[in-house]
Amino acid sequence: MVAVTQLERIKPTDLPAPPQAALQIIRACAREEVTSHEISDIAETNPALTAELLRVANSPLYGISREVTSISNAVAVLGLRALRNLVLCISIHDAINKEAIPDFDAEVFWEDSLRRALIARQLAVLVKQDVDESFTAGLLQDFGLLILFYLHPEQTTQWQRLRVLSPSERLQQEQEIFSVTHTEIGQKLTEFWELPESLGEAIGGHHAHIYTNSEQNPLSAILQAADWISHIFTSNHPSQALKDASAKTSQAIGIDEQKIKALCASLPELVTEAAISLGLKVEQQVEFEQVMRDANVRLAEENSSYQELTWNLEKTLRERDALAAALNNELELAREIQASLLPPDNNDIPVHGINVSAKELSGDFYDFFKLDDGRVMFNLGDVSGKGMHAALLMAKTSSLFRCLGKKNHSPAELLKTINHEICETSIRGMFVTMVAGIYNPQDGQITLVNAGNPPPVLFNPKASEKKIKLLAADTPPLGIVLGMCYEEVSFNLQQGHLYIYSDGITEGYAPNDTELGVMGLVSLIASLDKAPVQKRLDTIIQHLSESSKGQRDDMTLLIIE
Amino acid sequence: MECITKTEAGFSIITLTGEIDLYCSADARKEILQQLETRQSVVVDLSQVGYIDSSGIASLVEGLQLAKKNNLDFSLAAVSDAALQVIKLARLDKVFTIHPTVKDAVSN
Repeated sequence: MVAVTQLERIKPTDLPAPPQAALQIIRACAREEVTSHEISDIAETNPALTAELLRVANSPLYGISREVTSISNAVAVLGLRALRNLVLCISIHDAINKEAIPDFDAEVFWEDSLRRALIARQLAVLVKQDVDESFTAGLLQDFGLLILFYLHPEQTTQWQRLRVLSPSERLQQEQEIFSVTHTEIGQKLTEFWELPESLGEAIGGHHAHIYTNSEQNPLSAILQAADWISHIFTSNHPSQALKDASAKTSQAIGIDEQKIKALCASLPELVTEAAISLGLKVEQQVEFEQVMRDANVRLAEENSSYQELTWNLEKTLRERDALAAALNNELELAREIQASLLPPDNNDIPVHGINVSAKELSGDFYDFFKLDDGRVMFNLGDVSGKGMHAALLMAKTSSLFRCLGKKNHSPAELLKTINHEICETSIRGMFVTMVAGIYNPQDGQITLVNAGNPPPVLFNPKASEKKIKLLAADTPPLGIVLGMCYEEVSFNLQQGHLYIYSDGITEGYAPNDTELGVMGLVSLIASLDKAPVQKRLDTIIQHLSESSKGQRDDMTLLIIE
Repeated sequence: MECITKTEAGFSIITLTGEIDLYCSADARKEILQQLETRQSVVVDLSQVGYIDSSGIASLVEGLQLAKKNNLDFSLAAVSDAALQVIKLARLDKVFTIHPTVKDAVSN
C-alpha cells in the first residue's frame, strides 16, 4: 500500500524539532560577527545541551588534548562551524529518539547514519574537502527517511527490507511506499530549521544523477559515495556492493577500490569510538575482512548449489537422451516388425500395395497371399487413430486375417470371426475398417466384404458402360458391434482394375491443398489408365505428398488386376 | 476444437466445434466419458464440426459402448455434413442413433 505523503502540506509543527536553544546556536554560528559569549549565553538556557556539548567536545572524536571546560572555550578550540555541527548532531539525534517512532529500531538507523558520516569524513580527507561539514552532512543525509517513518509509523516494518537495498533501489522503493523520498523531506527540514543552505542542497541532491563528480557539488558527491560504501556493510551481497561502490565512488570523487578497501577496514573501529563519543548505542562492529569472507563463503555456497544443479540437470538430460535412444530403438524394431507384416512384392500374385504412415508407426495395413487352389486372399484395413496403439491393433488384426484366412476362405465368415475377436478385447472405442476378399486370377472373379471402409473403385476402361463402380460399405467397421453379420458382393474384374484404399488417400490433400475426395481419386485413376501398376501406385502417393498442408493420415493403396 | 457441455431436460448436451483429430479427440473423449460416469445420458451436438477423423469417431464409439454398459442414452444430433459423410461412409449410421436436432434428441 502506498502511504501518500504530500510534501507541501507538511508543517514544521507536524515534525519533531531540536530544542530552541540548539536552533539559536546554529543560526548564530552562521553570523560572522557572532562572539563566543553570545553562543555561551544561548547555551546556558539549556544546561542539558551544554553538558552534552562539553562531553562530546572532550571525547576522542575531536582528539583535543586540553580539556574543554566551557562553551566559550569550545568555540575557541573547535571553531564556530565545528561547534554548530556538533550542536546539530546532538540535538537532531535527541529530537527523534528511541521512543519517537513505536516499533522502530532507531539505534540501527543511527548506527548506519554514523557509518555514513564517518565514511564521508574519511572521503573528505582524501579529496581535501571540509571534514567536519562532511561528517555532519553524512550523519543527516538519510534523516528524511526517519521523518517518513515518524509520519507513517505503520510502514516501519519496511525498514529491514529497505536497509539491505542499494541506495538507488532504496530510493525507488521509498518513492513507491511513501510517494516522496528522504532526500526531498531532508531538504525540506533544513529549510524549516533554517540550517545552512549548502547542507540542504547536499542532502537534497545526494542521489541526484546530475551530481556525478565532485566539481559540481563536492559535498553531494561525497555523500553519494558514502552511501554506496556504507551499503557494503548492510547488503546481503557485499562483494557486489563493493564493486558497485567502487564504480560509483570512482565516478563521483575519483577514489579507487584499494582506497575504499582501506577505508572500510578502518571503519568498524571508528564507528565504535564515535558511537561512544556521541552517546549512541551500536552493535558489535563486524570487521571488513570478515564481511568479505562471509560474502565469499556465501558465494561459494551459492556456486556449489549452482554446480550441483548443473550436474543434476546434465544427469537428467543424459537420462532423457538415453531413454529417447532406447525408445527410438524400440520404435525402430516395431517399425521393422510392422513392415514385415506387409507382404513382399510377388510377381505370381496380381495384387500390389503401398503403405505410407503419417507417424513412425502405421495404423493401416494390407495383405495378400495365394491359396493352394491358386486363388488369392487379400485385405486392406485401417485402425482408428494413429501411432503405437493403432499399430498394436493393426498387428493383431492382420495376424488374425493371415492365420484364419488360410483356413476360412469366405470373406464374410472370416470378418465375422475377426470382428468377434476384436470386440472382445477392444478398448477406447477403437475399431478397424476393412475390405477383405478372395480373387481368382484364373477367371477374374472377386468376392469381397466392405466393413466401414471407403468404397473400393472398380475401374474397367474397356467396359461399354459404367467404366467406374464404387463398392460402398454395407456394414460398420470391425470391433464395434458384437455378432455383426457381413454381406459379400461378387463381381468379375473383366480385365479391369480394383483400387482399395484407406481414408488417408481420399482425405489427403491434393497439390492445390484441397481434399482429394473419392471423385478426385477416380479422376486420378482414369488418368493413369495406361501406366504400369507400380507407376500408378507411386503417382497417386506422390500426388498426395505435394500439398503444403502435409500428410494428414496413414495412406494405403492396393491395386488388384 | 472446442467442447462445451450444458444440461437440458436431464441430458448432458456436449457441443463439439471445429476439427476433431488425433490431437484433440482426447479432450472430447474425456468430456463424454465424464458425463456418462455421472450417470447422465448424453447428446453430442456435431453441428459445428468441420472435420472428424477416426480417432474422433473412436471417442464417440467408446461413449456409445459405455452408455450401453450403464443403461444410458447416447445419441448424436444435428450432425454437420462433413461429419455425416464420414459416419455414413463407414456405415456408422447403423450404429449411432442420430437426431436431426438437439431438441429432437432430448424430446425422444
